[in-house]
Amino acid sequence: MNILIIGNSAAGTAAIESIRKHDRQSSITQLSDEAQPLYSRCLLTYYLSGSIDREKLLYREEGFHKKMGVDLHTGPGFRVVDLNPAQRRVTCDNGRTFYYDKLLIATGASPKVPDNLPFDKGIFVLRHLADVEEIKQYLRDVGAKRAVVSGGGLVGIKSAAALNECGLHTTLAISSQQVLSQVLDYDAAQIIGRQLRENNIEILQPAGITEIISRDNRLKGVKTDQGRELDCDVLIVAKGVAPNVRLAKAAGIGVRRGIVIDSFMQTDHENIYAAGDVAEAFDMAIEDYTINALWTCAVQQGRIAGLNMAGKKTSYNDIISMNSFNVYDISIISFGVTSPKDESEYSVLTLNQAERNIYKKIVIDRDNHIKGIILLGKIASAGVLLSLIQRRVDVSVFKDELLSDKFNYGTLVKYGVEKE
Amino acid sequence: MKKVYCQIEKCLACRSCELACAAAHSESKDIVGALQEKEMPRSRVRVEFIDEKGTLQRVRAVAVQCRHCEEPLCEQACISGGIHRDEETGDIVVRLDKCVGCWSCIMVCPVGAIVKNENMHQALKCDFCPDLETPACIVACPTGALVYCEPEEMAKEQL
Repeated sequence: MNILIIGNSAAGTAAIESIRKHDRQSSITQLSDEAQPLYSRCLLTYYLSGSIDREKLLYREEGFHKKMGVDLHTGPGFRVVDLNPAQRRVTCDNGRTFYYDKLLIATGASPKVPDNLPFDKGIFVLRHLADVEEIKQYLRDVGAKRAVVSGGGLVGIKSAAALNECGLHTTLAISSQQVLSQVLDYDAAQIIGRQLRENNIEILQPAGITEIISRDNRLKGVKTDQGRELDCDVLIVAKGVAPNVRLAKAAGIGVRRGIVIDSFMQTDHENIYAAGDVAEAFDMAIEDYTINALWTCAVQQGRIAGLNMAGKKTSYNDIISMNSFNVYDISIISFGVTSPKDESEYSVLTLNQAERNIYKKIVIDRDNHIKGIILLGKIASAGVLLSLIQRRVDVSVFKDELLSDKFNYGTLVKYGVEKE
Repeated sequence: MKKVYCQIEKCLACRSCELACAAAHSESKDIVGALQEKEMPRSRVRVEFIDEKGTLQRVRAVAVQCRHCEEPLCEQACISGGIHRDEETGDIVVRLDKCVGCWSCIMVCPVGAIVKNENMHQALKCDFCPDLETPACIVACPTGALVYCEPEEMAKEQL
């Protein structure tokens, strides 16, 4: 059997590893337009700040693809420009064609940029290793002193912190009322906002960048919709990502916002699977289809897709958004629905010790299933709580203990959820 | 592969395993010496109370450490590629030179077996004490609640 994987990041790698656990025979071919060794995207801001070197970005050891028996083709020429499901064939930009029996589309996502954003020097997105190399080079070349980051999501915050660590005066412009609005509720976001400010990151909110000020095609500053003018040498636009669905759409594969996949990670075409930032799958917390453009979700989807492609029919219904990150010395982990639109539909437990940088929130639905969690400052029980979500455990009997620092695996043994 | 198991009915919650683990993972390999080290040694096993009521003898507790799972969620979640299965031993290993301290492993570990080494931004967990013949917690356990054996042996014991 010929397996073809488009994309060389979290989902593609997880698929390779799970295929090879069960199938050493099939040929695996992998295509990527990114001419870089396999690296971890989540670590790019660590590399930008200088806290890790380039070597440490590598997600798997050198020789991984060879060891896994993967025929890997990378570089701009290997951007897949056509997919023909009837012929089971893809065509690359350089004219090369590849045939498959089973295909995984793991084409990822691209940063959203405003249509009118000029191509002046000093304006960047942060998605690929090449982006970070360019930013680092530019910071050195112009001796950059001031930076503006547009966007208060994870990439925006991590980029701002990284630039700040590089010694730049950094301003974060956020269009919504709070940072991390996709991940945290308002109260938790307030703690993070304060933490950023205390570490000398200026936050403007709500503020959108309306105008770029440049001289000789080089960025000099930006104007916000509040009429403020900010001098800066570098601007990072971090306004989220959009799934790379063009290829699938043109091939007639079912696409809404992302490529729609079922619980086997299969698209509406037999033998064509999708996983990662490009895929729209059923999310157990929001109980609807969505794109979770998150590394860990991509790995899970890639792993399940791989199993099914290797003939190990496996259904996975536990997809939920999950994030773990640090903002300076505060650790944060969140899952699922953290600020439900209609709180009366849920029972919401909170512990707010903002002055100590501690905040916990657990959102429980009417069936006594946990649907969302924020753990800020104290994260030790995160995985134990996640297991309750994914196993759909009725938590009514021990609800009162969920926020306690003493809540742990032992608690689950006590209530018979776990048998030792 | 051999794993560490805790037999709840034999656990006194004396926490000898925690002390022995911390010492075994210190520079001096000795609890007194370890306490004088710059970096306080952290135990990778934690005694968790099941029932807190009653006298000490009646306390039920379980010593929790890494289960070296068949399908390790920590390995899957690790963003740096620093958690993997050792091909020779089958153990799940954290490569500290790769770890960045993002705590994705803590996010998914269903038993909560991974601890933070905050100063170093590193994730710590049970490594079966590779320098010792028998893991330190097993040697230290006064009641034999902790055992290091193959899963089949454990199943036999329970019968």
